[in-house]
Amino acid sequence: MDALEQKFLQLSWKLHPDNFVNTNEREREMSLQRSSRLNDAYRVLRDPVARVEYLLELEGMRKEGEHKQQAPPELLEEVFELNESLDELREAKSAGANLDGLTLKLRVAEKSFGEKLHEVDAEMKTAAQQWDAALDANASESDREAILQRLNELLNRRSYIRNLVAGVEKELQGASC
Amino acid sequence: MGRIVGIDLGTTNSLVAYVDSPTGQPKCIPGPYGSTLCPSVVSLDPDGSVIVGEAARRRLLTQPERTIYSVKRLMGRGPADVQSELQLFPFRIDPQSKNVIRVMLGDKMFTPPEISAFILRELRNWAESFLGEPVDRAVITVPAYFNDAERQATKDAGRIAGLEVLRLVNEPTAAALAYGLHEKQRGHVAVYDLGGGTFDISILKLISTNEGDIYQVLSTNGDTHLGGDDIDNLLQAFVHKRIRETEDLDFSPHGELAQDLRKSLIAAKHELSEKVSVTLRFALPNGKTFVHNFSRADFEALIKNVVTRTMGPVKQALADAHLAPSAIEEVVLVGGTTRTPLIRRTVQEFFGRKPHTELNPDEVVALGAAVQANILERGVSNMLLLDVTPLSLGIETYGGAVSKIIPRNSTIPASAQEQYTTGVDNQTGIDIHVLQGERELARDCRSLARFTLKVPPAPAGFPRIEVAFLIDANGILQVAAKDMRTGEEHSIEVQPSYGINDTEIERMLEESIEYAEQDFAERQLIEARTESEAILSATIKALANPQSSEIGATERAHIEAAIAALKQSVTGTDYKQIRKRVDELNHATEHLAELLMNSAVSTALAGRNLAEV
Repeated sequence: MDALEQKFLQLSWKLHPDNFVNTNEREREMSLQRSSRLNDAYRVLRDPVARVEYLLELEGMRKEGEHKQQAPPELLEEVFELNESLDELREAKSAGANLDGLTLKLRVAEKSFGEKLHEVDAEMKTAAQQWDAALDANASESDREAILQRLNELLNRRSYIRNLVAGVEKELQGASC
Repeated sequence: MGRIVGIDLGTTNSLVAYVDSPTGQPKCIPGPYGSTLCPSVVSLDPDGSVIVGEAARRRLLTQPERTIYSVKRLMGRGPADVQSELQLFPFRIDPQSKNVIRVMLGDKMFTPPEISAFILRELRNWAESFLGEPVDRAVITVPAYFNDAERQATKDAGRIAGLEVLRLVNEPTAAALAYGLHEKQRGHVAVYDLGGGTFDISILKLISTNEGDIYQVLSTNGDTHLGGDDIDNLLQAFVHKRIRETEDLDFSPHGELAQDLRKSLIAAKHELSEKVSVTLRFALPNGKTFVHNFSRADFEALIKNVVTRTMGPVKQALADAHLAPSAIEEVVLVGGTTRTPLIRRTVQEFFGRKPHTELNPDEVVALGAAVQANILERGVSNMLLLDVTPLSLGIETYGGAVSKIIPRNSTIPASAQEQYTTGVDNQTGIDIHVLQGERELARDCRSLARFTLKVPPAPAGFPRIEVAFLIDANGILQVAAKDMRTGEEHSIEVQPSYGINDTEIERMLEESIEYAEQDFAERQLIEARTESEAILSATIKALANPQSSEIGATERAHIEAAIAALKQSVTGTDYKQIRKRVDELNHATEHLAELLMNSAVSTALAGRNLAEV
C-alpha cells in the first residue's frame, strides 16, 4: 500500500459519515463536507493526469476544465493522414462499400497513436519527478516555470491524442457492427 | 430510541434482519408463516385493509386487479419509462398522471413508494413482534446501479412507513459485508448479484488496517431492469405462443389464467435448477391440458440472452477497476436467480474460479444490511464501508451536451463545485439541468432535476455564483449555491424530475397511518393472546387424552396451576406477562408432550411444544 492510499484510509476512518450517525446535525454536516472533500482529493491525487492538471491550476498555469485542442506540430502530417482515412471510412460506410482495407489501415494508425499516448505518459512522469526534485532543491522560479510549461504542453498533447484515439475507436466500432 | 434493523427491499421477496447481541451474528427474522422471506406483494382488500406478503401473493390468483408484485421495477421512474414493462405486467397505472406513476389497486391509487412502504411496515411489524421492542430506524438496501431518483424513491418509502432511513446500502456491498464476516476474505472480490428484477456487479477491495477492516468498492455496474422476472417473461411468452399455435387460444397478460400459468412456470424454472428436465402440465379453459416437456438444455437456450446481458456490465466493472478477471481472488453469488446452473457455470468460466454460494443467496443481502445497521448503531466500529456512485453526474451545457462533474465510481460522499455567471445585463436567473448517466448528450442521460439559480440584477458577467453538487453516503444528490461576491448562501429548491415532493410525502405518511395496524403494544397483546389460546386448547386436549394418565398427580397439578396462571394473565393487558406464562406452561407440558407422541417419532419431535405437535 502506498503512502497516499494509507493516508486516505486513515482519514476515512476519522471522517466518514458512518461514524457520526448518532451525533448532532452540525457534526453530521461537517463529516459529510469533509469526507466528500477527502474523497475528491484522493480521486485527483491518485490519477497522474488529474494530478498534473490540478498542479497547473494551483500554479495558475491553467484554468479549470481548459483543454487546448491544437495539433502538436510534429504530429501534423500523421493527423492529416488519419483524418483523411476517417473521411474515407465514413464515405465508404454510407456507400455500403467494403471496409476491410480501411479498417485495417485505421487499426494500424490507432495502434501508433496509442503508443504515442504511452510515450507522453512516460514523459509526463519524468517531468513530474523533475518538478518534485526542483521543489526539494529549492530551484529558481524560472527553472520551475520551465517545468510547468513542459507539463502543460504534455497535458495538451495528451488530451489531443486521446481525443484522436477515441474518435477512431468510435468509427471502428460503427464499422464492425 | 428503538432498534435499527437491516431491510432488503427486494423485487420478489423482502427480508428484515438484526444483529443478535450476545453472538454478534446477523440473523433474518421470520414472519408469521415461519419463513424469513416476505413476498413483495401488496393487495388491497375490498374492505379497505392492506394485505402484504404470503397472504397477498395468494391473492395474485384470486384478485389480480387489486394486487401488485415487483413494484420495485417502478420505483423512481416516470409513466413514460414503464410502457414496455406494462406489456407483460398486469399493472394498471393512472393514464392521467404525467410525472408520477400511480398504480391502481381496485379503485384506489398508490405511488410506488407508498406500495413499498406497505412492505416496509409489514417487515417492521415482523421485527417488532420478534424483538419485542419498537423499531423506528432502518438501513435499507438498494441495487448498486440504482440512480438518484430510484434511491430517493426508496428513502421516501421508508419515511412513509414511519422509518428513519439511516443509510441506503448497495446490495452487493451488503452481501460482501455478510460474506467477509463469514469467510474472513482479503484481496479483490467480485460480487455478482442477479435478483428478481435487478442485476449488479461490484468489484471490492478488502483491506486490513490497524483501525479495522475496510470494504472499499472499486467499481460497480449493472442493469436495474434485468433479473429473474425477465426469465419468467421469456418462459411466459414462449408458452403463450405455443398455446396460441396449438390450441388457437389467446390470453392477455392480465387476469387469473395468466397469473396461474406464470406461477406454474416459476415452479418449473425452480425445478430445472435441480433436475435436467421438467414436464409442465397446465389445464386450459377449453378443457384440454397443455403439456410441454422442458429440458434444461431448452431452458438454457431460451434464457441465454439474459445471462449474456449480465456479462457486459461485468467486463465494464473490471475495466473501471483496472483489473483482469484473473486478479479477482473471490467471487460471490447473490440473489435467487444465481441458483440457475447456467449462471453459475458462466460466472465460473469467466473468472476461472468456483464462486462462493455458502450463504443463502436470498438472505445474504439482508444479513449485510443488519451488519451495517449494527455499525451505525454503535457509532464507532472496526469495520468501514467505502462505496461509490454508479453513474456519472453531469450538467447540461450549451447545445444539449453534458459536462461530467463527478465521474462514475467516485467514492462517496463526493462533490464538485461549478462557477456560474450571467450572459446578459440584468439577467435574474440561470437555468441548471442536472443529469446522471454516461452518454454525451443530455437527452440520452437520466434527468435528475432542473432548477433556476436566482441572481441579483447586475451587468452581464458580473455575478459569481458557486454551485456545490454533493452526492451523500446514500448516493443521493444535494445542491447548494453560494454568491461568491456577498458570501450569501442560497437554498435551492430542487424539484425532482420524477419524484414526489416533501408535502406529498407528509400527506402519504398521514394517510398510511390509516392503513397501519394498531400500535406496537396493542399488536403484541393480540399476538400474545392468540398464542395463549393455541397452547391452552392444546393442553386441555392433551390432558383429556387417556394416555395422559401416565403422568403423576404432582405433574398434573403443576400443569393445571400453569393453565390457571395463564388464563388469569390473559384477562389483563400486559403482553410480557402473558408471554412469560405461555413459556411457563410450555415448559410444564414438555414431558406430557413427549409422552403423547408415538415413541418412533418422539425423538424427531423432541423439544417441540404441545401446540406444534
